[in-house]
Amino acid sequence: MVDGVERSAVAPAVPPVRKQRSDALFDGGRLLGFIYIVTFVVVALLVVIPLVALTYGSLRSAAPGLPAEWTLANWAGLASPGIASTFVTTIGIGIAASLLAAVVGTAIAIVVHRTDFRGGQTVTALVSLSFFLPSFILAMAWIIIGSPGGLINGLLEDVLGIESWKVDAYTATGIVFVTALHEVPFVYLLMRGPILGMDATFEEAARAAGASPQVVLRKITLPLLSFSLTSGVVLSFILSIEQFAIPALMGIPGHVTVLATQLYLLVRFPPPDYGLAAAVGLALSALTALAIWLQRRIASHNRLTVTTGKAGRLTPVPLGRWRWAAGLLCWGYLALALVIPVIILTYVSLLKFFTANPLAGAYTLRNYEFLFESGTTLQSFWNTLIVSGLGALLGVVLAWLISYFTLRHRPPGYRILDLTASLPFGVPGVVLGLGMLWAYAYLPLPIYGTLTILIIAFITRFLSYATETIGGRMVQIDRTLEEAAWTSGATRLETLKRVLVPMTTPSLQGAYFLLFMAFFREIASAVLLYTAATSVLSTSIWSYFEQANWAMASALSLTATIVVLVFMWLLMLLTQRRPGKRT
Amino acid sequence: MGIRVSNLVKTYGSTTIVHGISFTVGDGEFVTLLGPSGCGKTTTLRCIAGLERSNGGFIEIDGQVVCDSEKDIFVPPHERNLGMVFQSYAIWPHMSVEENVAFPLTVRGTRDATKAVAWALDVVGLAALAKRHPSEISGGQQQRVALARAIVGHPKVLLFDEPLSNLDARLRDRTRAEISRIQKELSIPAVYVTHDQAEALSMSDRVIVMDAGRIVEEGEPRTLYRRPASRFAADFIGAANFLSLVYRDQSWFAPDGSAVRLAQSEPGEANQAREAVLRSEILRVRPTGGPLPEEGLNALHGTVASLQYMGPHIEYVIDVSGVLLSALSGEEFAHGATVLVTFRPQDIHLLPKGAGPA
Repeated sequence: MVDGVERSAVAPAVPPVRKQRSDALFDGGRLLGFIYIVTFVVVALLVVIPLVALTYGSLRSAAPGLPAEWTLANWAGLASPGIASTFVTTIGIGIAASLLAAVVGTAIAIVVHRTDFRGGQTVTALVSLSFFLPSFILAMAWIIIGSPGGLINGLLEDVLGIESWKVDAYTATGIVFVTALHEVPFVYLLMRGPILGMDATFEEAARAAGASPQVVLRKITLPLLSFSLTSGVVLSFILSIEQFAIPALMGIPGHVTVLATQLYLLVRFPPPDYGLAAAVGLALSALTALAIWLQRRIASHNRLTVTTGKAGRLTPVPLGRWRWAAGLLCWGYLALALVIPVIILTYVSLLKFFTANPLAGAYTLRNYEFLFESGTTLQSFWNTLIVSGLGALLGVVLAWLISYFTLRHRPPGYRILDLTASLPFGVPGVVLGLGMLWAYAYLPLPIYGTLTILIIAFITRFLSYATETIGGRMVQIDRTLEEAAWTSGATRLETLKRVLVPMTTPSLQGAYFLLFMAFFREIASAVLLYTAATSVLSTSIWSYFEQANWAMASALSLTATIVVLVFMWLLMLLTQRRPGKRT
Repeated sequence: MGIRVSNLVKTYGSTTIVHGISFTVGDGEFVTLLGPSGCGKTTTLRCIAGLERSNGGFIEIDGQVVCDSEKDIFVPPHERNLGMVFQSYAIWPHMSVEENVAFPLTVRGTRDATKAVAWALDVVGLAALAKRHPSEISGGQQQRVALARAIVGHPKVLLFDEPLSNLDARLRDRTRAEISRIQKELSIPAVYVTHDQAEALSMSDRVIVMDAGRIVEEGEPRTLYRRPASRFAADFIGAANFLSLVYRDQSWFAPDGSAVRLAQSEPGEANQAREAVLRSEILRVRPTGGPLPEEGLNALHGTVASLQYMGPHIEYVIDVSGVLLSALSGEEFAHGATVLVTFRPQDIHLLPKGAGPA
């Protein structure tokens, strides 16, 4: 492949129209061409290896590394009643959670950005904060609150003496509720752009034409948002069906199984069936891929986003007598998704023994002290710093290169690179983890059981997050800005250094923060790959919770969240001071 | 009955955008608010529409007070019965042309809007495109859909917010005539906001020149162009030369010492300067020495400071004793040539005292 590309640079054998593009591969010097090839190979290896391994595994009759034969039994197993009903549960929970999240998230976005609601900025800040609350922490909090031995039932029984009525979070309803809570910020952030970017004159024209604010909302604003909203529902559906932590924590005790947890159960509990797990994983990936295809189609047919610059003059819709409902919606959501979970975790982390009655509790700081005495916990802090800090850096560099080659330089084969890099978005974390497990059982690379495999898994899984962020910025930069540099005498590489890199710097920071947080809160792809020595914070919290040690799990959750937030804040301060110095 | 705007004030935070302006628009009258960007003309229009709430003064539409900040009256835009055309057209992309035009009627509960929509589309000449979607028609057509939508409900006022600035030059000329014609036919009072003097002069019954949130001057297009009362209006509308004349011995004298005859004698204070306006297109450049073609023509002595060949004419800048005058002429003169700049007495207009820096 390397040879072929180089030869084409010397004697281009392509039609004259595409000649320029082909020559363009090396016109920035051999260095740029070399970087392209390295990027291409790295991305291909990252993405292709686990998928190929998974496909291989789904066709083998025994666990990785053991003698086995080719078989189709695993694929036939997908049709068994158990797995088939798991399919139905997965889709059902996905639809319910994504619709709920879409309605609440869009409603909050409209209330905050399009009405005269007071406190919108606070709501935005808090919703964004809850976006970063890991799903497993949210699930833990609601298990503590709503499980059979949890707070609500405790209060009902011990304090109020009611025995006839109980709540149970270990149900499909519980999973839908917490998944929806977790995805509302995602929908909110997704809908925010279209709502804020909408051309104000569309609404003003309707007002001038005689429509009241309520009619404008119904007949103009919502229809204009319909494409964004549909695509938001589908994206949120994808996130729901690939969600692992919530259905694992809440579904496994209650015997509610979705595809992601099915796969985990098949691998983790004896007798393990790696082959069937691989087939389940591929089926789940196919489901998400289908949903992604649907979402892309919807998004590309969007003829309604006619945002014509002059934004920002949107007249807020007066809430009038609906003010209380808007307040209930926004503050109520924040209470359920952020405030109550944090309060509950704090409460539990300070208890010696779990009790539902805060007046009868024996309070202690013992749990926190233990965190800092425990060598493994301290190790997981250190591991997280390496995996998230360094891994995110590598991910950003790779994402920048991919964006540059697929959006700007476009050497031969750039479409394949683009496609390959976007594939992992459709692969749920736990499936990716299984793919890596299959792959590195055979490959001669001794990385299983190291932090490297976690970094590779995380970068692969979240690569598209970073390419979206950086690429989104890069397409906004007018080509003429680069062309102006070329015509002024700069080479391609100099143009990169002097124009494109400085202009994409803000998006690099954004992508870094995004990856850092994603890596920090990632559990799905780590859960099959971590060992005691390579446990990161998320997996440490996970294992405390699996041991039913609610107090330690809570204490570590809070400490980890605070430490990470402080770290991010420090990083932000450091990177913000830079541009100030330059001027 | 038209529109009455009285002492309108609009502030954003601590900045005042409109400083208490007053004007009226008569029945069927076409009034243009003309001024540079940021002069408050669009804000004034948006206050009339009710898209902005004013902070002082009141606005009356068709005899009804729609906005009075002292009495806390505010009629929301949808109850003002307006027809408004926006700079970006604001054609809703999720509705067909027909649905866009029908909107003002359907939103007010009209069951059958078909006839009215057909009429409005016919007026703007788009009857054939009724079923199209906005993405399938051109910018000029979108603008006419916007116009049809504005007139379909026979509103009490028509409001235009720089409707032509997104069109190309030829289309702009055509649409300009179209808007004028339709407004005259329907005889609906109209307020038109623009920064383009050609639009203002060609379409309006009356032009209101605004600057920095105040009305500088208002009048009919001809008067405003020929006899402006302020230096700002003279400068903003058309290419104007300013010449400082000094009154001495019952006569006005130009900087080069030549006496300048006016159409009507206007005495000034002795040895005091006054500003006079001379439009470039009425200045003639002639060779020195020859006889003047007309009796009583004013002639100033100058040299060609620079020239630009424009095709139909040549644009000269003539240095008259340190004052630079721009003049258009078909005749060729060399750079540095000594020439005469001539004009008729009725073509020079003396600005009122204190109209601007002399």
